[in-house]
Amino acid sequence: MQVAEAFKHAFLKQMLLGFQASVVSPKSMGFQERKSAIKLSADVAMAVARGTRKWTRGLIAGLSKEHQNRSFLQLILGEQYERLMKPCHSSWKIPRCKKIVRRSLRVCCRRKKKKNQVGVLARTLVAKRTQELKILVPGGESMDGFSLLDETLDYVVSLRAQADLMQSLLTTIEASKLRSHSKGTLPERKASYVGN
Amino acid sequence: MSSRRSSRITDEEISELISKLQSLLPESRRRSMSRASAAKLLKETCSYIKSLHREVDDLSDRLSDLMSSMDSGSPQADIIRSILRS
Repeated sequence: MQVAEAFKHAFLKQMLLGFQASVVSPKSMGFQERKSAIKLSADVAMAVARGTRKWTRGLIAGLSKEHQNRSFLQLILGEQYERLMKPCHSSWKIPRCKKIVRRSLRVCCRRKKKKNQVGVLARTLVAKRTQELKILVPGGESMDGFSLLDETLDYVVSLRAQADLMQSLLTTIEASKLRSHSKGTLPERKASYVGN
Repeated sequence: MSSRRSSRITDEEISELISKLQSLLPESRRRSMSRASAAKLLKETCSYIKSLHREVDDLSDRLSDLMSSMDSGSPQADIIRSILRS
């Protein structure tokens, strides 16, 4: 499963905006600060490129919770920042449903406890893994069942694309650096060869 | 993925989602999962997500390294600016 071409373009563009703000700008940063800015740019780029999904909202919300991120986020997102920060109104429904689901699960478990020990173990394991997944997928705490799996699928595809695109950026910049370095030394080498 | 009848999700949709998720996992993990249980699939998915996070973190390191020497006057900076203008 692949991301769309439009995703790749949007990602790279947003990533370059992040570079411009963190690297090309006159302000000089230390390694850690620059790395954090790059990582932040990459996550923002991924969320913006994907569009509106539960996990993209969760990601942006999570990133902007950190105070130190806010001014950088506003800088690289521009007018998109306000739009992306608007709260998602459907999310309030879910905590109420969760209570009802949990209550009904508890009643079910009490009835089945004596019968199916193996089943209980398997379900506990699934519940444990599901909880872990909810932490890993941005916005996962308010998702359950089908929507969690659906968002996970989308998130994993986007993560893979994010890593691939960052790798190609890395390769491209490394290559262009090599070219600009070699351009400087080539005339000298020619001269010495001719001299012999 | 909305059905016109109701908001209930069919078994078919669930198994389709699960098989799609399984197909995303890297080859090495998939091979040992011929009889995938729900718990195993979730575990492998969590592992994969964590490894992708590590990969992105490492790439951020390398990009930061690479750009340490890139100031606003370098040719790379010019390239970036011209791409953004287009």
